[in-house]
Amino acid sequence: MSLANRMALASPLVSAITIEAEEFPELSRAFGVQGVPRTVVNRRGAFVGALPEAQFVGAVLQLAGVAAAEPPGDGDGSPG
Amino acid sequence: MSILTDRLREQLRERFAERLRDPVQLTLFTRPGSGRLILPSGLGCPTCEDAKQMAEDLAAAAPERIRLDVVDVSGGGAGGVEVPTLTVGVPDQEPRIRWQGLPAGFEFATVVDAIERVSTGAHDLSPASLQGLAAAREPVEIMVFATPG
Repeated sequence: MSLANRMALASPLVSAITIEAEEFPELSRAFGVQGVPRTVVNRRGAFVGALPEAQFVGAVLQLAGVAAAEPPGDGDGSPG
Repeated sequence: MSILTDRLREQLRERFAERLRDPVQLTLFTRPGSGRLILPSGLGCPTCEDAKQMAEDLAAAAPERIRLDVVDVSGGGAGGVEVPTLTVGVPDQEPRIRWQGLPAGFEFATVVDAIERVSTGAHDLSPASLQGLAAAREPVEIMVFATPG
């Protein structure tokens, strides 16, 4: 299950797009994809790897510049 | 023609019958007739036919709950969307979950999961995650680059 999709389901301000990196090599290069999963937020910041919920949500919100994006502490531990 | 095995389609039917609640809208953006030819960038779509078959299999697994629209981007009227792109959402609302490229392998499982979650609204995020999300005031776009796996 995708945490990005679940965030999009939970908030009308969030949209999630999963891109098959090998099918779109130019786009992948443009966003510096060298390993997957690579998560890019608002086409600016990025991180690599599957993270537990708390870390994933915290990283996305931090990269999005959401002020109250303190690291949540009670995630369910499911991978991103 | 189906891209999924008979057994998998039967499993999908059983699973969706048990788990889907409200209607779900699938929209596939594709370029018909481009087949599996590898053409210069922007012209070919080697996975469009497989994506169409996959979307049709998904919709056929729960025709009373899942509606599929197939949009031909050949005329250029789809806002420059790449193909194939599959969106999952609530009918009559702008979809916020999409896949660009053929969602094969592990990604197929995420499509099935998204259909079920959109149908039931079950995001299952923790209260802390929801609290963080509630602080967002501007749109947040999450792009996840993946491989079929």
